[in-house]
Amino acid sequence: MSSVTKGGNVGEMRRASGRFSGKRLVTISRRVLLQLRHDRLFLALSLLAPVIMVLFLKVFFDSMKGPGFVVSHFIVPMGAFLIHFFTYILCAIALVRERAHETLSRMFVNGFRRGEIILGFLLAYSLLATLQSLIVLALLGWLFELSYVFEIYASIYLVIWLLAVISVALGIFLSNFAHSEAQMIPTIPLVILPSVFLSGIIVAVDKLPDWVQPISRISPLYYANNALQKLILPNGSLGDDWASLLGLLAYGLIVLMLGSVTLKERD
Amino acid sequence: MVNGVDGQLAVEIKSLRKSYGKLEALKGINLKVEKGTIFGLLGANGAGKSTMIRILVGSSDASSGEVKVLGLSPFRDSHKLRHRIGYMPQLPALYDDLSAFSNVQFFCSAHGIDNPKQRVKKVLEFTSLTARQNDTVIGFSGGMKQRLSLACALVHQPDVLFLDEPTAGVDPKLREQFWKHFRELAQQGKTIFVSTHMMDEAMLCDRLAIMNQGVVLVQDTPKNIMQMGHSQVHVWSGGHEQVFAIEDYRAQLPILLRKFNLDSSVTKIEIEEDTLETIVLKLLKQTTVEESEREANHV
Repeated sequence: MSSVTKGGNVGEMRRASGRFSGKRLVTISRRVLLQLRHDRLFLALSLLAPVIMVLFLKVFFDSMKGPGFVVSHFIVPMGAFLIHFFTYILCAIALVRERAHETLSRMFVNGFRRGEIILGFLLAYSLLATLQSLIVLALLGWLFELSYVFEIYASIYLVIWLLAVISVALGIFLSNFAHSEAQMIPTIPLVILPSVFLSGIIVAVDKLPDWVQPISRISPLYYANNALQKLILPNGSLGDDWASLLGLLAYGLIVLMLGSVTLKERD
Repeated sequence: MVNGVDGQLAVEIKSLRKSYGKLEALKGINLKVEKGTIFGLLGANGAGKSTMIRILVGSSDASSGEVKVLGLSPFRDSHKLRHRIGYMPQLPALYDDLSAFSNVQFFCSAHGIDNPKQRVKKVLEFTSLTARQNDTVIGFSGGMKQRLSLACALVHQPDVLFLDEPTAGVDPKLREQFWKHFRELAQQGKTIFVSTHMMDEAMLCDRLAIMNQGVVLVQDTPKNIMQMGHSQVHVWSGGHEQVFAIEDYRAQLPILLRKFNLDSSVTKIEIEEDTLETIVLKLLKQTTVEESEREANHV
């Protein structure tokens, strides 16, 4: 071992400021993406799993074909649900793993800030979610022969992508309450199952009992489904349901804020 | 002992307490560590060493008491302090799926260092990891991970280095090199705050605090702590062995030997000093007895 201290002193360095740094944020994102690239099995499964699920959906909905059954009313929101499901799980588990392996506390001790960590993860996993959303939507369009004009496709993609980013933020927020991967697992059905049954994908929310309807609004999928249902109507457009889009955006901002507030620097 | 550079303190702890529910992990700790020294925390598992280090680096809250590192609070001034301290946790806390180089580079990037690649290379060279710098950490042995973890803690040249059992799983040769470097750092004015449960390592510190169940039993130089022990002097005279227990053999041996006049009948003299381990065990036993007596008096 040679001496590490020779040839280097404090004067050589520029001490980082304690303020929020975009550079450190990008460093975190780059590191997460580098990890994803090195873990090829994880990356392959992250992209393959939604594809396999879409194939199952194809088999399922083909068996339900009949007069009056409009498959696109179900399949487009189902695609959104798949993205919500996978992005939530992947991000939540990754952050809990950082906490359990103490790399998260090491990041704090080294001077990374809460906002940088949250947004760094959000940026990295949103890039993965962007790819997942693109694959799922392309596959849905091809397998179910959806015949939308480009503008509608782009609008559907925007809504699904926004939902994916919010699901990442939701994963970050809820992972703050778990200290191990095992503790995170029970939150998966708690978050995912109500979003399937109560967000209006299978049964319209106004047909649910009155006391359940407010619960529907807890899931981001409720807002995404509302926007998507309007979009896929003949002559539908993104402007037809601004309220749901704004609801989705507000949901994302609130969850991000909660994620930042609840991320503990110290135990 | 290496004295503080300017008499200022690197670490100051007053009446520090930490509880996890009903469990009191630290029970009113008072410590002072001078700059430019190696300060060792010696104690068994569960003594409170890691808890104390985690509080000092700002990873854990204190329940009460006052803590200062380089005159700054690890809680209120955390963002000023974090670029001046290095921390090597007990777990390696590394990214297994990244290379050694990427791991050090990532932690280095938090500090806004000029020429970060050069610094990373230097610190990897120091920890003898240059040949494996592009390999992913997942294939590293325990000792290599410890070296890499140390590299991550050293890369920004901190003024105070907190090391939580840094040589666990490291082979004796490398352990010796680690300690040689700790001494070099201390001579340059850096402060090393290190926890260990190895007696031979404890002897290499400038000052030592012996901990048990959240309490500092004693803090002093290793030399002074060693003087708390007893010695047994075995004298073989006229074919008979006589054993004498004395406190400080350096002072008392000449007096003891006077009665033998050191004539030709004295054939052999052997001195058995208490080891640090024996002294620590005696201290622990004494504390347990005192606690039992206190409890009995309460009843």
